[in-house]
Amino acid sequence: MVPRDLNANSMTFLQPLILIALPLMALPILIHLINQHRHRTVPWAAMMFLVNAKRMNKGMARLRYILIMLMRMAAVGAVIFAVSRPLASGWLGGVGLGKPDATLVLLDRSASMEVQDLQTGESKRSTALKKLAELLEKRDFGNQLVLVDSASGQVQLLESPRALLELSMTAATATSADIPGMLEQGLAFLSANKSGRADIWICSDLHENDWAPSSGRWAALREQLTPLKGVQHYLLSYADQPAGNLAVRVSNVVRRQRGNRAELVLDVLLQADLRASQTSGTRRVLVEFEVNNVRSVVELELDRQGAALLGHRIPIDGKLRSGWGAVSLPGDANPLDNRFYFVFSETPVRNATIVTDDARIGEAFRLGLAIPAESDLEQTAQVIASDRVGEIDWETTGLLIWQAPLPTGLLAEQLKQFVTTGRVVMFFPTVQPQDGQIFGAQWGSWQQLAREEQRQLSWWRSDADLLARVGSGDALPLSDLRTYRHCTIVHPQPGRVGAPLARLANDVPLLLRAPTKQGAVYFCGTLPTAQFSSLQRDAVAFYVLLQRALANGSRALASASQRDAGPAALSDRSSWEVVAPSAGGPTLSQRGLHAGVYREGDYWAAVNRGPAEDDTQTVPQATVDGLFEGLSYRRIDDAVGDTSSLASEIWRAFLIAMVLALLLEAILCLPETKGANAPSRNAVSTPGNVQQAGSV
Amino acid sequence: MATNANRQHDFIDTRMLARLSGLGLHARIPMLGSVSGRHRSPIRGSSLEFAEYRKYVPGDDTRRMDWRAWGRSDRFYIKEFEADTNLRLCLIVDTSGSLNFAVNGTAKIDYMKSLAGTLAYLTSHQGDAVGLYCAGQRFHTEIRPKRNAAHLRLVLDKLADMKAEGETGLDEALHEAAESIGQRALVVVVSDLYIEPAVLNRCFQHLRFRKHDVVVFHLLDQSEVDFNFDRPTRFLDLEGGAPIMADPSLIAQQYQQAIADYLADLETVMRDAAVDYHRVNLSDPVDEVLARFLVGRKPKTKN
Repeated sequence: MVPRDLNANSMTFLQPLILIALPLMALPILIHLINQHRHRTVPWAAMMFLVNAKRMNKGMARLRYILIMLMRMAAVGAVIFAVSRPLASGWLGGVGLGKPDATLVLLDRSASMEVQDLQTGESKRSTALKKLAELLEKRDFGNQLVLVDSASGQVQLLESPRALLELSMTAATATSADIPGMLEQGLAFLSANKSGRADIWICSDLHENDWAPSSGRWAALREQLTPLKGVQHYLLSYADQPAGNLAVRVSNVVRRQRGNRAELVLDVLLQADLRASQTSGTRRVLVEFEVNNVRSVVELELDRQGAALLGHRIPIDGKLRSGWGAVSLPGDANPLDNRFYFVFSETPVRNATIVTDDARIGEAFRLGLAIPAESDLEQTAQVIASDRVGEIDWETTGLLIWQAPLPTGLLAEQLKQFVTTGRVVMFFPTVQPQDGQIFGAQWGSWQQLAREEQRQLSWWRSDADLLARVGSGDALPLSDLRTYRHCTIVHPQPGRVGAPLARLANDVPLLLRAPTKQGAVYFCGTLPTAQFSSLQRDAVAFYVLLQRALANGSRALASASQRDAGPAALSDRSSWEVVAPSAGGPTLSQRGLHAGVYREGDYWAAVNRGPAEDDTQTVPQATVDGLFEGLSYRRIDDAVGDTSSLASEIWRAFLIAMVLALLLEAILCLPETKGANAPSRNAVSTPGNVQQAGSV
Repeated sequence: MATNANRQHDFIDTRMLARLSGLGLHARIPMLGSVSGRHRSPIRGSSLEFAEYRKYVPGDDTRRMDWRAWGRSDRFYIKEFEADTNLRLCLIVDTSGSLNFAVNGTAKIDYMKSLAGTLAYLTSHQGDAVGLYCAGQRFHTEIRPKRNAAHLRLVLDKLADMKAEGETGLDEALHEAAESIGQRALVVVVSDLYIEPAVLNRCFQHLRFRKHDVVVFHLLDQSEVDFNFDRPTRFLDLEGGAPIMADPSLIAQQYQQAIADYLADLETVMRDAAVDYHRVNLSDPVDEVLARFLVGRKPKTKN
């Protein structure tokens, strides 16, 4: 497939300086003029025929002569073009003739870029890399060739375009990409190096999650890139999605011990491409489970959305306390979403600690936390007063409810450390608000809500986090929640505003999640007791909220965890051992970027692609074009597995054109056969032959 | 000049005259001469050549009555004989500047002088009258036909002094000659005929109307037809017109087409006006041209 371009076709040249010789195309005209100038003078008698001939010459003959001149000029031009080594690449037109100071390659290494052409075995990423390497080898990439890969987000200087094909930093990963972030990295590089003209190549599949087109970062990027007049953006786009691709995902892996027997309970989700489901009707797929080198196969029937296997049980050895497994699908267009690793360990005791000085409030929290949601879970909840925080068992606590003056000093640091280990803290206001701030927030004043506003939550986040819909898809009964009084949440630092999870009728956040890299920190603006809200009375939402927070916080207590691939998936890469895949595992620098199972001592971690990578939603081309509005930008729509070069040398075509031009010129120069009326030599030299006709 | 009685005329080749002297110049049609000669006349005369019988009418000379015919038929018939007369040769030569066109050192004007001079000499020496009309831009020379030797010298002197210059006035000259020359003369035109065929057609039809025997020697060199030039050339008009700058490679085909059309039209004109037309290449020897001309006009014998 020939790459399509939004703009007009044009060319670029490997030896552009030779194009200076283009005026030589006027050589035939010059020779013609010189010939005209060095004419000879002949006395002539038959002027009347000359006049007639010149009159007749104004038509086709003149056109023929003009064509001859044009053919000669075309031949000269073709030779010059051929020598200047043109590249057949319509989309390179804007490059111009000057070489860039730097060429930046922003490579999307996300899992969705591994969609393959089943005939060639080439993925979107490898296709883009090959084409780009070939192109950059042909044309001058400037003084610096820079790679910004989506997985590491690091800027890497390359010695040659060939390195794009050889470096591990361009290999496939299970990560997601952050295209605006990569552009920011590129922009920072250009600014730091004070590069003048630069070409930025973005290789991506326009995955919506990677591009985040609604993000405000794009406006900021445009604002910073617009003044850089010499920067040319090229988007090598592979937006086509394969039909019939299946992606597998495993969640809720729980190890259950029943006497000497143990089993794994897990949910398997198969996500199918909707288009394939529309055309192929009922489809069955074999799902292979692998645990402790034991394999089992389950056949699933796919519907339009895919398939879900909830609560699937896999018996394991009762002595196997922890380990790993994988779920695999038969091969399809994207091999990276056909296998999902999971790890398991013994379910830890879920410990919650409530710090409050109000016994009633403490009891409300304890009741909500002490009763486990499932019978085989073990949960504890401990209420301690604010002056006894030294008794908190930081190691075994998964959730900390803090309804006391905000901690400061060493205690605050201890709390932050607690969060960075993946645990959850929920802050509730004291009846008498105190000064102090933590995690970028502090308590304001208590507000009494009007009667008509008490029943209303204007909005809550139902797609994720604590207030998400339940497994059946039903929303939590928050519409019945009454809030009589609430304490405002103040952000002294504007840059650290948290994400609201629920808002009151007057748009004031009631529940807010503070920004943290690990763990979770929540601020709730009311209290569960009847004086403040109906949380305790309408216990369902309150119970679910607390249970979810405890489950999230306790997950860090387990000796196994599921993680999304990324640079932060494994904190200290050197301390992690690669368990799976056993062969061809990632290098040290790439650990955590590739799907697999890692082990650090007794702790297991399964790293897989993020959930967003299974979403086939792409950004519409018009939207992508809009993101680069005002910038020098070209989009090249390519297809996976396409073997045509981005830019191929076409000097042979010009040589052929030259030969054709010369051939045409020769044909045009051929004298025409004399007609029957043309006078012959004999007609003149034989006097009297006409005499016979004229004789009397 | 013409006053010089011993003036040599280089354009007359005596050896050529010797070769051609045996071939007489004959007219294709009866001529009207002023004296008795060797050419047929349209009127009856007293030669030995029987012409016809006609009925006697009162007033006829009874000496010319055929008594034998009266004896056989009892009717009176007058026996008539052909009258022999002399021939008036009117040379009409083109003296326009285009006659200066030369090939290999031979100019058309020189060729024309040689051809016309030789013809005048041959005609005069067989006792016929010779006249000369020059058709320059203006009809500037008119020597009426006479048959004495001094007149021949006058004609030859005029030919010798002739210069080719200016535009052609051949069409006017032909019309004026048609009117001024008495009927039934031999009119010989020597020219390059760079005139539109339609104009020439009117001229020759005029001459034919006056019952002249018209001969045309068309001086046209092969190089003028071929137009073989290999580079841009500035063509100077020999008749004084504006020069023309042309690239022969561009217009050669059109030129050849134009001259072919012209020659085709000219042939039609000559055929329609019953003109004895001779196209002459400058490389052709004059004696060969004249010999072919004279032989072609020789009357056929009765046997």
